Amino acid sequence: MSNIENQIFSSYQRNPDLFDEIYDSNGNIKDVYQKLFDIYGGHSIQDYINLNSKAKASFFNQGITFQVYGEDNVQEKIFPFDLFPRIIDQDEWDVIERGSIQRAKALNLFLWDIYHDKKILKDKVVPLELITSSANYLDQMNGLNPPGGIYNHISGTDIIKHKDGQYYVLEDNIRCPSGVSYVICNRTALKRALFGVFNHYQTYTVTDYAENLLEQLESVKPKGVDIPNCVVITPGMYNSAFYEHSYLAKTMGVELVEGRDLFVENDFVYMKTIKGPEKVDVIYRRIDDAFLDPLEFRPDSALGVPGLFAAYKKGNVTLANAPGTGVADDKAVYTYMPEIIKYYLKEEPILNNVHTYHCSRPDELNYVLENISELVVKPVDEAGGYGISIGNRLTPKEIEEVRKQVKENPRKYVAQPIMSLSVHPTYIDDTESFEQRHVDLRTFTILGKDKEFVLKGGLTRVALKKGNLIVNSSQGGGSKDTWVLKK
Amino acid sequence: MRKEYTVTYKSENIYDNWVHDAYWQFLIIPLENKTQKLKEFDFSNSLHCINQFSINGFGFNTIKIHPQNKFKHICFEATFKVLKSKKNLPEQTSFAQVESSWKEIGSLEFKIDFEQYLKVTSLTKIPKEKQGLFQFGSNRGIFENLKDLNHWTHSHIAYRSGVTDTTSTLETILKQRTGVCQDFAHLFCAICRQNNIPCRYVAGYLNHESGYLGDSQMHAWVEAYVPSYGWLGLDPTNDVLANMDHIKVCHGKDYNDCSPLKGIVHSLGNHTTTHSVVVKNHQRQIQQ
Amino acid sequence: MLARVANNLFWMGRYIERSEHIARYMNVNYFSSLDAPNHISQDRQFVLRSMLFMVGEPVKDSHIILNEENVLFKIGVDTNFVTSILNNVRYARENANSARDLISTELYESINKFYHFVLNYPKEVFVKSGLHDFTTNVTEMSAILRGKIRGTLLHDSVYAIIMMGVNIERATQITRMINSKYNDAILAQGSYEDAFTKSFEWTTLLKCAESYDMMRRYYKKTPTSISTLEFLILNPNCPRSVMNSLNQFYEHVKILNPERRYNKESTAFLIGRVRAEYEYKYIEEIEQDIKSFIENILSSLDKISNKVDEEFFSY
Repeated sequence: MSNIENQIFSSYQRNPDLFDEIYDSNGNIKDVYQKLFDIYGGHSIQDYINLNSKAKASFFNQGITFQVYGEDNVQEKIFPFDLFPRIIDQDEWDVIERGSIQRAKALNLFLWDIYHDKKILKDKVVPLELITSSANYLDQMNGLNPPGGIYNHISGTDIIKHKDGQYYVLEDNIRCPSGVSYVICNRTALKRALFGVFNHYQTYTVTDYAENLLEQLESVKPKGVDIPNCVVITPGMYNSAFYEHSYLAKTMGVELVEGRDLFVENDFVYMKTIKGPEKVDVIYRRIDDAFLDPLEFRPDSALGVPGLFAAYKKGNVTLANAPGTGVADDKAVYTYMPEIIKYYLKEEPILNNVHTYHCSRPDELNYVLENISELVVKPVDEAGGYGISIGNRLTPKEIEEVRKQVKENPRKYVAQPIMSLSVHPTYIDDTESFEQRHVDLRTFTILGKDKEFVLKGGLTRVALKKGNLIVNSSQGGGSKDTWVLKK
Repeated sequence: MRKEYTVTYKSENIYDNWVHDAYWQFLIIPLENKTQKLKEFDFSNSLHCINQFSINGFGFNTIKIHPQNKFKHICFEATFKVLKSKKNLPEQTSFAQVESSWKEIGSLEFKIDFEQYLKVTSLTKIPKEKQGLFQFGSNRGIFENLKDLNHWTHSHIAYRSGVTDTTSTLETILKQRTGVCQDFAHLFCAICRQNNIPCRYVAGYLNHESGYLGDSQMHAWVEAYVPSYGWLGLDPTNDVLANMDHIKVCHGKDYNDCSPLKGIVHSLGNHTTTHSVVVKNHQRQIQQ
Repeated sequence: MLARVANNLFWMGRYIERSEHIARYMNVNYFSSLDAPNHISQDRQFVLRSMLFMVGEPVKDSHIILNEENVLFKIGVDTNFVTSILNNVRYARENANSARDLISTELYESINKFYHFVLNYPKEVFVKSGLHDFTTNVTEMSAILRGKIRGTLLHDSVYAIIMMGVNIERATQITRMINSKYNDAILAQGSYEDAFTKSFEWTTLLKCAESYDMMRRYYKKTPTSISTLEFLILNPNCPRSVMNSLNQFYEHVKILNPERRYNKESTAFLIGRVRAEYEYKYIEEIEQDIKSFIENILSSLDKISNKVDEEFFSY
């Protein structure tokens, strides 16, 4: 089939400076991609456009959308989805999987430690300021033992492939990482549009996420509960991740609740049902710490449940993830991950960390101030890709501006060498052709009591704007189905 | 020497419209410790809701009230009988202790263990231009320094009610140099922590019979950590050490950790809330 | 099931049913008036007023000349008019969104498609030439939803709640239609010899309720006021009748609350009482005072809805 004129890739331009996922070092299509390349290439561009618009319509009709608030109207948009999948072979996946678990476990031990004996601080492996200056450290969690000893039940690890062909972790998300529903939706959409390709590849399923999540939630049930009643709590239908919340509740077969559906009586949590109150034992929470309980945290929170934290402290209900995990997904903590892994697990890190300069250290601050044009400067406490400056994209005036900001508040910033994210052929609507776009990968790791699971696939996010390195959906990113191949 | 007190706490809430859902948490029960015993305790409300006893995030006893029916008016009344006994105060710091205690305070281990009461919060933040208002002398004992700070705070701020509220920052307080007990306590905490001495905000009841400053509300003072002694209570509003006349309820980083009443009330329109606290030393001092 | 979500499902059912009835009322009235036998019934202003009356926005001042495009816009697609078809479908979808984890993917997808159809229907086309196409699509899409409700949901409490909403709304809308057409029949009787009892408006009413064919098969005569009201209110075998809706409602409320003991506070008890009242009603009694009869039904339906709220949705 490879001699068929390959219509849709004929105009594909390869920039040799970028690491293209589908080519090997000699410039040939990698073996694992060859079949896919041929099948897709066998379509005419018009065929492909039709398939693409059908896939979009399917997302739209299923209501897998987010809302964009304009000046006088609300628009519904789908998360852009690319029909050309990313393939990860078993050997590479093994590294990613083991590395994701290793990080999740190390972070869990780190959280236990900094909320108990704080040995890692006393042994001077990480500085005390990391904790004292973090807005996400919750004093209320001090000395509290979460059921099963688990803090970060669900972790999302953002991984990229650099131009050296190595995987690097960019970020660990252990508050309420989102995106897993898109992994499953992407697979469904691809199966609907191009079912034929699956005949040629043996990929792992991604639909087993919900059952693993439920099993994990049940494994961390409060003491004395036989069959736990699990629920998912959402801020409500106007939240941008509401689809995911309802999807997870539905596939786990548990109730999707809002704060107003729950109440606490004598330190037990109940939900208001048509047949009266029903006790709740495990809460997979998708609302932030600050909003969980207006009596303990933000008093103006209308999303939370008054008294929830006291019930948690008493051990009558489990919260997943535990409150206060945010302290460990601070970008400043990230920079100590290799040390944290070695300290608790006595192992070498499996996945690389990007070298990080701490602007809080005078010598490193100087290096950063002098080399802004070659660095990515990030605020330590912003999520969603906001406030990031990429040095080689800045005008001299902008560089000066960044320098001023960093100087004024060094503790707020870290800097890293500019990583070159790998690229992947991606269909671009405007040009009606395939072009190289930067991609990353978010893996989803579940930690339960004596149990760990990594979803085989994860979410490949694509920066759809040409040359853009920021893949977050809030910044115009899309996604791809990700295949992990069986051997 | 012991003193027996009766503390009466009252709160009344009136709403313009029906309240269909409400949830209150009272952090008003006197703490039990070596020098403070709770002999009797009664808490009631006009709607006859059940008292739910619950331990809050910082480990203090609270009472939670969750009415089952709609209402426009609710009163709460609590009565506590507390027995206070005298706490021994630190002795003058010896020369040898001065050096060792400053050394202890400077150690990483110490900073980690007392991290919670060394950090700056929004209510204990001293504005840049007001840094260095009060410096601890490292040639003197911590106990002596604390007494000086107590006196300094007392004289730096004039007691006046109604000019600040529980959200007032030190910026306002230092500018106007007036305030009430929690403002004195916040300023004390802030300066202490700047000098690396752990300090916590304390909420409780004050026996006004000795002529102390304070209004008919709950009182606030501080506890600072003195090495080889422990937590020492100081009342900067009155420039005294907290002892027999101070009945402690709880402590925290600042007022926000110690707020006596937190309520989540779903109601439209206005409401009025009044509180009152009466502390009576109804027995003569008992000589032991 | 969460009480809040049950409330959402109930209202989802109600809004779906409501949008369908409004759409059909617009369609049938408009198109059957075009060649109506008397000139009042044929009058554009008369028809527009009837539509506004039905959606609860009666125009009392007879001097006002209504603009057809404005009226159609308002009832059909006006986002600022609470009871427009567009808003009804929007509310149906919002309620479905909140209960998304409980309803089938198929049902949700259909509601979502329905919403996007209504939302994106070109408004200029609708007011000029799209009335038939738009309203026919709305009624057909709601029929699809009814099919999805029946065919893709487990017939448990989720289904029961939706069906309770559907049926209480059907009874309400049928009664509102009767009320509008009763009002029209009174207004139209001045002309010709066309008396109230034999008004053309009764035929229109039956068509609005998709019951004209059923009615002809049952009575084999031209509809009169009595036969129409008897059929639409009391006939338990007419799937659109108030009686049938109440019976359906009763069946479904029993799924939620299967207890059989005497409990005069329950919804089931109240609905039983209302049913009994209509089951043993002489149509002649109704005819004597149609107006208060209609008011009575509406108030009974209201009480039932409040009772449901009290028993199942408030916590």
